[in-house]
Amino acid sequence: MIHSLFLINHTGDIFLEKHWKSVVSRSVCDYFFEAQEKAGEADNVPPVIPTPHHYLVSTHRDRIFFDYFGECTEAAIKDNVVIVYELLEEMLDNGFPLATESNILKELIKPPTILRSVVNTITGSSNVGDQLPTGQLSNIPWRRAGVKYTNNEAYFDVTEEIDAIIDKSGSTVFAEIQGVIDACIKLTGMPDLTLSFMNPRLLDDVSFHPCVRFKRWESERVLSFIPPDGNFRLMSYHVSSQNLVAIPVYIKHNISFRESGSTGRFDVTIGPKQTMGKTVESVLMIIHMPKGVLNMTLTAAQGTYTFDPVTKMLIWDIGKITLPKLPTLRGVISLQSTAPKPEENPTISVQFRIQQLAVSGLKVNRLDMYGERYKPFKGVKYVTKAGKFQVRT
Amino acid sequence: MPYYGSEETVKELRRSLSNPNVQADRLRYRNVVLKVIRFMSQGLDVSALFMEMVKASATVDIVQKKLVYLYMCTYAALKPNLALLAINTLRKDCTDPNPMVRGLALRSMCSLRMPGISEYIQQPVLNGLRDKASYVRRAAVLGCAKMQTFQGDTEVDGAVVNELYAMLRDLDPIVMVNCLRALEEILKHEGGVVINKPIAHHLLNRMKDLDHWGQSEVLAFLVRYKTRTEDEVFTILNLLDSFLKSGQPNVVMATTKLFLILSEDFPNVQMDILERVKGPLLAICTSEYHELCFLGLCHTREILRSLPGHFSGHYKKFFCTYSDPNYIKYQKMEILRDLVNDENVQQILEELQTYCTDVSVELAQMAILNIGRIARTYSERCVVILTGLLGLKQEHITSAVIQTFRDLVWLCPQCTVTVCQALPGCEENIQDSEGKQALIWLLGMHGEQVPNAPYVLEEFVDSLKMETSATVKLELLTAMVRLFLSRPAECQDMLGRLLYYVIEDELDMAVRDRGLLYYRLLQQGVEEVKRVVCGPRSDPSLDIISGQANETVNAWTKDFNTLIPIYGQEQWDRLTAQKGDSLEILQLSAVKSDETGTNPEQREEMVLDSGSVRLKTSAHLSAEQFEEHWTRLEAAKVVTLDWHKDPSPDAIQSAFQFVHIQSVAISRRGAQLWKAYLFARNETGSLFLIELLIAKDKGDIQVTIKQENSSEELLNNFTTVVKSIIQALDERLDLEYISVAAGEECSPN
Repeated sequence: MIHSLFLINHTGDIFLEKHWKSVVSRSVCDYFFEAQEKAGEADNVPPVIPTPHHYLVSTHRDRIFFDYFGECTEAAIKDNVVIVYELLEEMLDNGFPLATESNILKELIKPPTILRSVVNTITGSSNVGDQLPTGQLSNIPWRRAGVKYTNNEAYFDVTEEIDAIIDKSGSTVFAEIQGVIDACIKLTGMPDLTLSFMNPRLLDDVSFHPCVRFKRWESERVLSFIPPDGNFRLMSYHVSSQNLVAIPVYIKHNISFRESGSTGRFDVTIGPKQTMGKTVESVLMIIHMPKGVLNMTLTAAQGTYTFDPVTKMLIWDIGKITLPKLPTLRGVISLQSTAPKPEENPTISVQFRIQQLAVSGLKVNRLDMYGERYKPFKGVKYVTKAGKFQVRT
Repeated sequence: MPYYGSEETVKELRRSLSNPNVQADRLRYRNVVLKVIRFMSQGLDVSALFMEMVKASATVDIVQKKLVYLYMCTYAALKPNLALLAINTLRKDCTDPNPMVRGLALRSMCSLRMPGISEYIQQPVLNGLRDKASYVRRAAVLGCAKMQTFQGDTEVDGAVVNELYAMLRDLDPIVMVNCLRALEEILKHEGGVVINKPIAHHLLNRMKDLDHWGQSEVLAFLVRYKTRTEDEVFTILNLLDSFLKSGQPNVVMATTKLFLILSEDFPNVQMDILERVKGPLLAICTSEYHELCFLGLCHTREILRSLPGHFSGHYKKFFCTYSDPNYIKYQKMEILRDLVNDENVQQILEELQTYCTDVSVELAQMAILNIGRIARTYSERCVVILTGLLGLKQEHITSAVIQTFRDLVWLCPQCTVTVCQALPGCEENIQDSEGKQALIWLLGMHGEQVPNAPYVLEEFVDSLKMETSATVKLELLTAMVRLFLSRPAECQDMLGRLLYYVIEDELDMAVRDRGLLYYRLLQQGVEEVKRVVCGPRSDPSLDIISGQANETVNAWTKDFNTLIPIYGQEQWDRLTAQKGDSLEILQLSAVKSDETGTNPEQREEMVLDSGSVRLKTSAHLSAEQFEEHWTRLEAAKVVTLDWHKDPSPDAIQSAFQFVHIQSVAISRRGAQLWKAYLFARNETGSLFLIELLIAKDKGDIQVTIKQENSSEELLNNFTTVVKSIIQALDERLDLEYISVAAGEECSPN
């Protein structure tokens, strides 16, 4: 069970703490700082650190903060410290997790809005819900009773992320699609929905929101469920058979360091392939250059680039790829003259998104509703994004 | 507003809090309270405002109430007297018409960590258990557990326990889970909550209503349930099948553990379960959250212990991406190493090869070591790769490669020739002592195959004065002697210089002694040196075979979904060995008066004089610890005494307790082979363990005594105490007499 929670900012200050089971002195965080020092980079700190009496678990989740405050920053938490405490109080008791669904929490403690905070300041009223969440008392724990909407809507977002490693020669070492279907359901009463796909056999392994009837999926490959009210993740899935994963961009690269002298050449081009006629947008390239690189003088045919000589990060913000012009970035790398020629080759991480395309080819066939009489408004949106998409050079 | 200097701040805040104008204005009042909380959360000590804050709790503003309660829960332990003042407000809030207020008040009241509070909270908690709002019941149920913590080890309230068991049938799923949690804590010393058939079936039926936290916890409790029939096992497996594919990693893990334990006796079913959980587990391993990913990988390795080929088809999922943190990369590389088979060896080696040039030195070295492990089965390909890496002439890479070569040559002698061809030139790129040691060892052992071996070693000998590491010097001595035996002409002079330096100028004793040892050995003649230095080696292949033996699934199912897979059994044992003591102290100082308690003035340690042994009145040793000590220690004394009657556990227990010997376990009356285990600690920290053994048809009792940190004299005295008690018991003497007898027997002469 959880004894205490400490929120630590990037400078290593503990700016919020809360205790449940027992009060643990904040000096326990020194074990974390020690591990952080040893690990060098913040990312490399092991997630579980043993101390003589406790285990420190470091983790990072921000969904509820985003739902409440629209951002997750130290400032946002400090500004809303009261709500943060209120939320933590409802989420855990005696160190046991109670309610962590943001739908339920929102009924207990209303998120701040500009209007409400103005009203609150004037009237002195609070964000606390006057009524207890009823959802947990109905027979279907994830849906509260007596939901009413004037506009009945059901939206589904199919989001697919491509994780891929592309090797030097451009062939795919590893590729996989991680997909999720998020739903936003605003339907009156107790609707019973059935969602079917054109090609459900495509999905490798799936996991569902508890509302989905697993037996029906196993037998008929349809999603049958009474939805929770509001936003929730209906299912997540993987497509890992590699021939099904289309790689929507290719990268031509030539990054070389001259054996003698202190310069190198840099030439990278990105182009679309297998995009099924859709445009690749929000393209961004991040390259972590070797330590010996002093600076880079480049010209971008499209977009803007920045190079941070301290962190050695080259970021090239490209934007949309419009054919026939292919974005290129080329120029000269200046190296430390004394250091030997860098051995390691930088890895290129690429980000992009393609609207209106599920790269796996997954398509929603139809959505039927039973149990209620009205006609809901239905919509499905597809988007493909780069996940951990890396090109080795 | 002064930010630093807490005194000023506190004064200022006190002034505002007690200002009647502020108090009259709800908003201003709340803002001041909020300010106090802000300072508190920054770690400033604002406990001095306790009085004012207690007053601020008497308000209709629910947010302000929450803030004040938060404040009180933090500081109540520091100001117990003042906190009592707040209890009235809290108790009144427990009867508020708004269930949220009732629940909040109850929860906060139970979280005030101060002595003597339990009498005030008992009634509200009991009322709360019967509240009509589930929100309040949830808080009340956990309140029962908190109450138990305050009261320490006093009697467990049977009525509360029964009530909680009954409340497992509550309509609200969270109340039900909280009941389990509370019972587990209250009954900690009796082995936790009991899961019998009706409870288990009830829990199984409710599983669908729970949130994922509840589900994973209930699944963990169900592990305790002992199924009776095969049918029952399969019914449960069917019922919970869908949870294996849950979207929540904690539920997947808990279900897997439960399933594996349930199907303990059905290896085929276990294989089937592991096959089905492959997908969800791989999904966890590729999760976007690093810590989840890490845990998934650790558990994957656990499965690989029994089924080495289980994930071979999915080896690409374990390729490292650039953005993975190092701890994940290490796990992935070790998994890749274990997944190697004839089909994927090429791809895996190519992948590992790319990691060898990583920016991170540790990562690169780890990759090389892992290639070395694969080399034990696919030696040729790996040696080619490793030799290629030497061409990069990077210090850390060369060092790791050479270390890998050393281990490889030892385990797979067939690679020796290739390795030896790769050695020349490496010495220029090795700086760290581990690498040097490995190189020197290789040159000494296989110097006859490396043409320039003597000259490389000569350089080491010449720069010996600059060498700081003693182990390198020791290695050099051994290697030099070995090489001298195979190539005497080239080495004689060098060896002489080395021995001269080591014996005359070396400051490190170990090195000098080793030098002298070799010097004297050489005086015995070359044949003798050969016999000693090049004697037969242990057979390394034995170790490989035993290392690769597959464990059964049941060997690790109990540890699945705990912290153990993260650390590995060995490291976990080491961690808990240190922690065992300190945790024990924590637990005991809260519960019992113990010799290591931190507050000596609170507990008077009465050392009753039972002779010169001076046993402690109170000592604690769990059955596990006893067992551990028992198996570790040698029997110090075995005595056989006359015994004529049927042993009565109660009489024996009380008799021994009279002289402060505690019992751990006693067989029941009439057992075929009657046994009893007892122990005692004395003031100086010695520990005595006793085993009494009576065979049914024999007329004697065998007493085995084991001891730790004790002297012969103490042991003798202790033995006489034990003897006298047993004799007294056998003669049906009453307890008073025993104690007198014990006292007389053992009084100092």
